[in-house]
Amino acid sequence: MHCLVRQTSRLSCWLSAARIHTTAVQHTFWEREKKSGYKTKLPEPSKKQQIIDGFRDLKEEIKLWKQEVKEKLESDPILVFRPGETDVVFDFKEPDVLDKWTVTTDADHGEGKSSATLELSAAGAGLFHGEVSSQHTKDGIIKRTGYANIRTKRVRKSFKRETTYDWTQYNMLILKVRGDGRSYLINLHTEGYFDLMWNDIYHYVLYTRGGPHWQIAKIPFSKFFLSSKGRVQDRQNAIQLNCVTHFGFSVAAKKGMDGPFGLEIDYVGLEYDPSHREEFAYEMYRTPKYIAAT
Amino acid sequence: MIRKLHCMLRLQSGITQTLYRHRAPTILTRNYATDEANRNADDKNGNNAKRTSKSLPAVRNPFGAAQEKTKNSYLAMVEIFEERDVHRRNHVEFIYAALKHMPDFGVEHDLEVYKALINVMPKGKFIPTNVFQSEFMHYPKQQQCIIDLLEQMEDFGVMPDYEMEAMLLNVFGKKGHPLRKYWRMMYWMPKFKNLSPWPLPDQVPDDTLEVAKLAVERMCTVDLRSKVDVFETKELEDSLDDTWIVSGMSVEQSKLLKEHSPQKALYIEGPFHIWIRNRRINYFTLRADADAEFLAQLDERQLDDDDVSQIGVPFFGRAPPRRHNQLGKVRSVHQQDDGTIFAICATGTSTKDSLLSWIRLLELHGLASFDQIPVLFRFKSVVPAKAEEIAGPAVPSSDIDASLHSHKEHT
Repeated sequence: MHCLVRQTSRLSCWLSAARIHTTAVQHTFWEREKKSGYKTKLPEPSKKQQIIDGFRDLKEEIKLWKQEVKEKLESDPILVFRPGETDVVFDFKEPDVLDKWTVTTDADHGEGKSSATLELSAAGAGLFHGEVSSQHTKDGIIKRTGYANIRTKRVRKSFKRETTYDWTQYNMLILKVRGDGRSYLINLHTEGYFDLMWNDIYHYVLYTRGGPHWQIAKIPFSKFFLSSKGRVQDRQNAIQLNCVTHFGFSVAAKKGMDGPFGLEIDYVGLEYDPSHREEFAYEMYRTPKYIAAT
Repeated sequence: MIRKLHCMLRLQSGITQTLYRHRAPTILTRNYATDEANRNADDKNGNNAKRTSKSLPAVRNPFGAAQEKTKNSYLAMVEIFEERDVHRRNHVEFIYAALKHMPDFGVEHDLEVYKALINVMPKGKFIPTNVFQSEFMHYPKQQQCIIDLLEQMEDFGVMPDYEMEAMLLNVFGKKGHPLRKYWRMMYWMPKFKNLSPWPLPDQVPDDTLEVAKLAVERMCTVDLRSKVDVFETKELEDSLDDTWIVSGMSVEQSKLLKEHSPQKALYIEGPFHIWIRNRRINYFTLRADADAEFLAQLDERQLDDDDVSQIGVPFFGRAPPRRHNQLGKVRSVHQQDDGTIFAICATGTSTKDSLLSWIRLLELHGLASFDQIPVLFRFKSVVPAKAEEIAGPAVPSSDIDASLHSHKEHT
């Protein structure tokens, strides 16, 4: 029916004046909101409830702010590089660690049939498991699906002010994981201020051995490459480690790898390795004008 | 001003008319290109009968209708399409159809086939001749079609070669969007192609035994002294299943097992799964709970080097005092916080009997001895849970009948 209406409108266009365009409007650069149309509208609580919640949160926020002020006055930051020592950032042994993460799959917006959960395993680590499936409703818009993803929540200071992680003194990402032979994608989001930078994510692959043994992966930050909305960018740059906003893992049902997956994560840490001198692993030569980044 | 407007209107109406005229035949062909039923209806009219029989054939999908689904027949169909007509009408649609049916013919990993499809495109016709054409995507449908083809190659992990670049340059010129896609692929794909620390053969074998060998070898890379053995259960007299067992065990694991206290049970756990590219293999482990005593002992060994309250002074010809257990045991890779792993295996049937055979075969080949140690099975199978999920909660049939009857009575 919809198709017919479109057809007739097209015909009428030819017959009268070809002024109305029937093609879909594509926003190539301007974005209305950060989710690019994938924002789920949740029912807002009543005004009264919001005030009550606000006051309840205020208590915690003031406590946090006090801590921040204290730290600032003490002025005792870690400034020394300690080679070979791992600083743990995301530890799954901490209490209520699961609240810090969000799980998303393609089924969230009715675009696929994957499912995933993040829970604590018997070994006391975080277990990201589920099933990815590349099946989807054939609506003619979605071409390929099948992913599951976990991501930390946006890092915040007191009074819910957004902030970023500062990992500038490290050059290695250390992960203690136990996988299932699949390769996972490590995502470092560096969400910027402008809409163009909202989807900036630095990726690298986490190959897992599989099997019952734990595996410690040591990945230099210089290997991470920039992509936006799943497309590797032509103009690359090394990641700015003081701008990291989120951290996450993805898994996809590519190349017929539909089925269950399981990634057990003990911790995610950072390290400074003085022997690693590389700044950026990819070539930085000048790309031809009007060809690259178009 | 008014004259100008009038002029513009006339011009526009002219354009619409020409557009309409151009469009008309396509609409007509679309009407002709219907299925058999309509043709029969036309036959009844008699008048149109001759024309329909001579007109374009009904739209059909040669790839879907093909009897023999091989690479040769696929390439033959592409060749037939190329030679059917000078103009190669509907070549974009043809390429899309061909791309869609690639996995049916088993050619989705074949570069030659992708090249054959690009070769369908006419050479030199789509090359932009001025800046505007090159800026505004000259022949967008054709360019998008080849971009989609390249994307499919990327999805299947097929890397293009330089001949493909030459072909694309011939079709779209050096400013074409497919070329940009090609150059991106040629930059990034070689970077990721051999990145995995556990490389696999380009075509993973179809045989389950071969895949299982790959899987166990991969899991055993944790210890370089691991040895992977393939046993046949036929070696044993009292095994029920006739199958193979791929077992991975290292010298260190054998030693650990020898030292294992007979008071503590061993567990055969599984099935767990490991992916070898897109094949999934179930495996089982032979493990015991972590030796807490030993692990605690290791912790004690980590003496505080900054403690200067007791320094042994090596004066007057006395040897420096040794720290206790300095040359003692080192924690092995297999002694993890959540258990000690002694062996890994994958069997052809994944049954309890085959695992029992595994234990016996390990003993037979002198890799381990389970004289006094109790071995327990700990199976975690998702099959019963899945079955329940599919069948739904068990409801006795009599209950359903009763509810149906009551419903009838009410109505």
